[in-house]
Amino acid sequence: MNATTAAVPQTSSGISNAKLGVWLFLASEIMLFSTLFTTYIVLRLSATSWPWGWTALNVPLGTLNTAILITSSVTIVMAYARAYDRDVAGFRKWMALTLALSACFLVVKAFEYGHEFSLGIGPSTSVFYAVYFTMTGLHGLHIVGGIIVNSGLLYMSYRKDCWEDPLFLGRVEGAGLYWHFVDIVWIFLFPALYLL
Amino acid sequence: MSNTPDAARDPHRPNVKLYMAVFGALLCLTLLTVAVSKLHLPRPQAIAVGLLIAAVKASLVAAIFMHLWGEDGRIPRILAAVVFFAAMMIFPILDGAFLVPSATSRVAVADQHPDEGGAAAPAAEKPAEVK
Repeated sequence: MNATTAAVPQTSSGISNAKLGVWLFLASEIMLFSTLFTTYIVLRLSATSWPWGWTALNVPLGTLNTAILITSSVTIVMAYARAYDRDVAGFRKWMALTLALSACFLVVKAFEYGHEFSLGIGPSTSVFYAVYFTMTGLHGLHIVGGIIVNSGLLYMSYRKDCWEDPLFLGRVEGAGLYWHFVDIVWIFLFPALYLL
Repeated sequence: MSNTPDAARDPHRPNVKLYMAVFGALLCLTLLTVAVSKLHLPRPQAIAVGLLIAAVKASLVAAIFMHLWGEDGRIPRILAAVVFFAAMMIFPILDGAFLVPSATSRVAVADQHPDEGGAAAPAAEKPAEVK
């Protein structure tokens, strides 16, 4: 150690700023969804009656959406693996597949909502449906946000200079972390609303 | 990094075989959740089993796909702090969840807290007659 390095204090956390930033953002998201799940528990426990999810909602479509979202979690981690190895074509293929699956999720959800609205069911129908539309609606907005970010990464991948940018892999990893979080939220939403 | 000799020793190097194994496990657990719901267990047991399976699935996603398994210890510590504060927020709210309308009725309060007025309260609240 020379005099110059000794004078400069080490401030690096050892974690990239992008990753730390995404994890802190996810921390705030955990608080947001914790609040909503707590509200769900409070309303459910204090309700005089609460329907079984499978009597009120379409379980096959919910199961299909769960499978779609789990598959999209795999495809985005595969996109990260391809980006890690600088396999440009592989990254584009897996990221495009992720986007296609995300769109499928929203289409299935729109079909579900459409069917419920056609039966005259809406958030004001009951406390159960108010909780259902609020939680799945907010989750759906998170899906839309993920689609925007992932589309941006796919677009950037067509620029040659992006593959020379050392930050690009971190961006892909950050987008993946966010997408997996959205998947985890659905993993709890599905049984809580559709099955229990 | 990927094209350097260090890449092979990188603990965060993607492990495709592991991803596929977790993918299979997640799909199986999803089918298991649906299958258990078909058994029509009593509600407490159904909730316990459903949330247990969901917790296992979420742990797999967090540990493997989000690379928390083998991650630098600081990020799990940040998450532990978040869970702690989320619990601090949830527990006081849950207190209200166990209040049912009958528990807060005038009769129930009078029965459980006779020293605080209870059934005599309405009489005490009666305004004094004006002479």
